[in-house]
Amino acid sequence: MGNQHDFFKGTMKIRVSGKLIAPFLQACTKRGCMISNISWVREDEILMTIRLNEWTTIRKLRKKYRCKVFILEGKGMPFIQKRMFQRTSLLMAFFIAVIFIFLLANTLWSIRVEGLTPELQANVEQKLKSYGVYPGRLTFGMNDPNEIQTKLLDDLPDLLWIGVNKRGTSYHLYGVEKIRHDTDLDLKPADLVAQKKGMIVKTFITQGRPLVEVNQIVKKGQRLAAGQLVEDEDIYVHAEGEVVAETWYKVEQNLPLQQVIELTDGTMSKEYRLRIGQMKLPLWGWWGESKKDLREEETTKKMSVLGWNLPVQIQVSTFYQIDHSTMKLSREKLQRLGIDTGRQSLKQTLEADAEIMNEKVLHQRSENGKVKLILLFKVHENIAMTKYISQGD
Amino acid sequence: MSKLQKQIRTLVGRYFDLPSDVVLDLPRITTIGSVHFYIENHTGLLHFSDREIKIQYKQGHVRIRGKELVVKTMLKEELLLEGELQSVEFFPDS
Repeated sequence: MGNQHDFFKGTMKIRVSGKLIAPFLQACTKRGCMISNISWVREDEILMTIRLNEWTTIRKLRKKYRCKVFILEGKGMPFIQKRMFQRTSLLMAFFIAVIFIFLLANTLWSIRVEGLTPELQANVEQKLKSYGVYPGRLTFGMNDPNEIQTKLLDDLPDLLWIGVNKRGTSYHLYGVEKIRHDTDLDLKPADLVAQKKGMIVKTFITQGRPLVEVNQIVKKGQRLAAGQLVEDEDIYVHAEGEVVAETWYKVEQNLPLQQVIELTDGTMSKEYRLRIGQMKLPLWGWWGESKKDLREEETTKKMSVLGWNLPVQIQVSTFYQIDHSTMKLSREKLQRLGIDTGRQSLKQTLEADAEIMNEKVLHQRSENGKVKLILLFKVHENIAMTKYISQGD
Repeated sequence: MSKLQKQIRTLVGRYFDLPSDVVLDLPRITTIGSVHFYIENHTGLLHFSDREIKIQYKQGHVRIRGKELVVKTMLKEELLLEGELQSVEFFPDS
């Protein structure tokens, strides 16, 4: 029976005056009333707090003991309730808020499509929009996920499967695209020719008449497989296949023997500026030592309110302490470095299935504090290229 | 209560190590410093003002004197007083 109980049931502060206060209190407590906070005002008058449900007992007893009772104030739930119903505007606001929250909770806020190519994703989103499923719409009267799923699968033939999941206020779609095998193959007669010079390592001609063998050296533009199946006859096919050849690449590199590198050791300071148009106002951190030996990085934070970009931006400059250190490399290390960087840059120019087999240092010379490196890379790659046969018609 | 009954009660209480407020029907009074005054087993409030309070129990009454006395809670047999207590005096009915 703590304060919690009193709060829910309600309490009242009353003023009692009369000659027989003490016997009156005695009688009240005898009937099970709990009286609290009795304070003396003057002779024949006290203030006290009683429970709301004991009011009837007190009212009955006050006549018997000739006491006058005035209610001063009420506390607790019943009074709050009463007051709330008196303030209709507050009550209205409360209900409006409830309705608002309910509506917001039943609004579709986001749609996430996963596992599809961008074009198909756009298609799915467009279709969803045509069904009336888009962010910002109420979910009332919207089709349920299963229906959307079947509709999407019917309408988009490119979809193999799509899962539609409703999670709270967002839709999660996970799609799998059909892999279309092109049946209308290009069947125009064609030869396979070499893209570049190289030594054949492996041939795999699926269609056409092979013209080269392994370990043969081919020049650029040389025919590797013919589309004409039999010599001097008019049976042509679209030659197809893979011809892996060893090709060679020469890479030249100039590397300095001594390098000065700037290292940051992690100590940094930040400076904040407020940017209004072209004007910059320093906000914080503008003091401090000179920013000479420091590396500066600048980022500008845009501030937006409800999708509107404010003309005011916050610019943060971060200054990193710089340590200059000289790196002197040995010749072997430098060579290793040169080979590695050469390999990296070559790899970027080659196709994905090409493989760098090995490398050789052709030439190494140092002059003026620099090392000149000429490297040769051996690469295995597909050199076959389709070339259409003009049949002269 | 006759004198004999009272004596028997006291004896029994002592023998069984019972709390005397139960056995002898006396009020149990607890005070916390001179701030709180808690009485159990009282029978009524005789007089109440902010300087003096008289509380009745079965065999007499207690007078509490102090300043700014306030009855925090009052139940049928319990009473909690708050304020600046100065004295607690007992007036047993002889």
